[in-house]
Amino acid sequence: MRGGAIPILAWGTILLVLCIGNWVWNDKPVSGAAATAAVVIVYAFGVALWVARPESVRRGPPDSPGEPEAVPQVSVAAAAIGLSVGCALFGLVWSEFLLYFGVGTLVASLGRLAIELRSERASRRRALRGTGPR
Amino acid sequence: MSVATAPTAQHTRITGLLAATVSTDHKRMGLTVGACSLFFFLLGGVFALLMRTQLAQPDMRLVSDNSYNQLFTMHGSTMIYLFVTPMAIAMAMYLIPLQIGAVGLSGARLALAGLWTWLCGGLVMQQGWFASGGAGRDGWSSYAPLSNGTNTPGVGQDLWVIGVILAAAGMTVMAACVLATVARRRAPRMSLLRMPVFTWTGLVSVLMVVGAFPILVLALVLLYIDRHGGHIYTGFTGAIDYQDLFWFFGHPVVYVMFFPYLGAAAEAIAVCSHKRWFGYTAFVVSIMAFAALSMSVWSHHMYVTGGVTNQYFAFTSTALLVPAGIEYFDAVGTLVGGSIVLRTSMLFALTFFIQFLIGGLSGIFVASPVLDYQAYGTYIVVAHFHYTLFAGSIFGFFAGVYHWFPKITGAFLRESLGKLQLALMVIGTNLTFFPMFFLGNDGMPRRISRYPTHPGWGTLNLLESIGAGIIALGVLVFLINILVSLRRRVPAGDDPWLGHTLEWATSSPPPPLNFERPLPPIRSYAPLLDLRLEELDRARERREVTSSG
Repeated sequence: MRGGAIPILAWGTILLVLCIGNWVWNDKPVSGAAATAAVVIVYAFGVALWVARPESVRRGPPDSPGEPEAVPQVSVAAAAIGLSVGCALFGLVWSEFLLYFGVGTLVASLGRLAIELRSERASRRRALRGTGPR
Repeated sequence: MSVATAPTAQHTRITGLLAATVSTDHKRMGLTVGACSLFFFLLGGVFALLMRTQLAQPDMRLVSDNSYNQLFTMHGSTMIYLFVTPMAIAMAMYLIPLQIGAVGLSGARLALAGLWTWLCGGLVMQQGWFASGGAGRDGWSSYAPLSNGTNTPGVGQDLWVIGVILAAAGMTVMAACVLATVARRRAPRMSLLRMPVFTWTGLVSVLMVVGAFPILVLALVLLYIDRHGGHIYTGFTGAIDYQDLFWFFGHPVVYVMFFPYLGAAAEAIAVCSHKRWFGYTAFVVSIMAFAALSMSVWSHHMYVTGGVTNQYFAFTSTALLVPAGIEYFDAVGTLVGGSIVLRTSMLFALTFFIQFLIGGLSGIFVASPVLDYQAYGTYIVVAHFHYTLFAGSIFGFFAGVYHWFPKITGAFLRESLGKLQLALMVIGTNLTFFPMFFLGNDGMPRRISRYPTHPGWGTLNLLESIGAGIIALGVLVFLINILVSLRRRVPAGDDPWLGHTLEWATSSPPPPLNFERPLPPIRSYAPLLDLRLEELDRARERREVTSSG
């Protein structure tokens, strides 16, 4: 992801400046350990991204994808996942039956999602071979 | 770029309304979230009207104290979790892929799951009205220990907690998909500093959603456990811990509810001024600084607790003035020398900047701990945040609606009805919220269902209630405008305003994969304006050659 690490490193720098400002100025500064940990975590995440993908510190538009992109048009599974999570949590408060029903439909929706993803991969393979929908 | 459409569309054979509910097209999802948000806006508005009727005169007893608590809780919660924030995400979801030349949303299935999770959250929250004891009643912030199982027993508050968890989780997922789209699906040559102004404001908003909303989910999961015997938020430190967690979400969300509308107003101003947005790079830096600072100011909501470092948070809160000033400077800079057309979108955009200024300036006062000790818990705070959250969002939202309605539907909204709506909303907003500064200064506390007869309070409250009615009239005119404009369509064409950004390069409404024609060359954040200027230059050169020949 081109440029992806730049905002994270910038974020870490801003956090560092704010922590130093807090430490210099305030008689009750935030915990040094917590502030250092926060800065280190943000920087570490940015550096890890940089090391894993060197283009993440390069500016410019993303590289053009060489392969066809999958653009799903409908997904019954995704809608069902959202509804079943809502149903399960609603059941947590309102009625135990809905909790079990929600969990059951969540499992079924995840199965349906797996089928959708498999068919999407097949569609991409066909598109790569130039025989499928484009 | 070649596109492989997943075969689910062909295999499932889903049509009609059901197809809209399971569609992973970012435009349909954006419209679904937008339509549901608008419904919740009307619902929250009804709650507000009921409250204002109760407060119209001293000691009115239209609703009980308990019902009033539920009304202000559900009004704030509905407006924040179910209208302003999701509407901002809906706009980002609809427009950003178009503005960056993408064929769709990254992680579209995830976004659809997020959409339904958010909608379930809204319905679960409202379900509280049917629970014994009523809906949630601890305010939109639901402070612990007030909201624990002992102080607020009942299913209604539990439903509120679960509803907000679902809504926040759903919005986080949708925002993450928009973020991934900006990172991965920008058109060739669309570098970060060539993204349109609205895309930048949307990007910064979704960054804040992804950074801050999980904290709210965490805070409320812990609150749910606490309510059911977990004893998590106990004692003074427990109360402070809850507030720290809540406001770490609660302040960035203010800017989530502001930035996309700022972007919409900025686009309307630039297009209606026939100029590119002035000071683009400074603007981008300023909103990034705004976002970073917004996550460093949360404890200014907690000055009076004595549990936070007031000086530090006063400093960071006041520092927000600098990026805000840059944004205003850029808006004025865009207007200066522009060929201005006062369309409804432009008028809403200008009003947005003026109205938000009142909220922003009053924010400087409450950012100072000394003044906040005086203002805390009074109507001054209510006035301040309604000028920022209502005026600062709604006027920008309507600027965006009038600007992009022709793109979304292919038809114009009626300008005359739009201007009538604007007039009603400006009068209503100021009549409702400005007297609150005086009431607050006079010591009227917020969140009271009745107040005693006190010199001046009855008159000012009556004015506010009349103002709320005028706002409602303005919203009614807007709904009529939409109905009239959709039933008696005035075709708008693909680019009726001579827009600057890529969404105006496609048909209205856009096709399923957004662009059927090749994208124009992208050399700046206003590629269509660049094209037009090049054509003008070429025409001028031809004229000069002809005249010299």
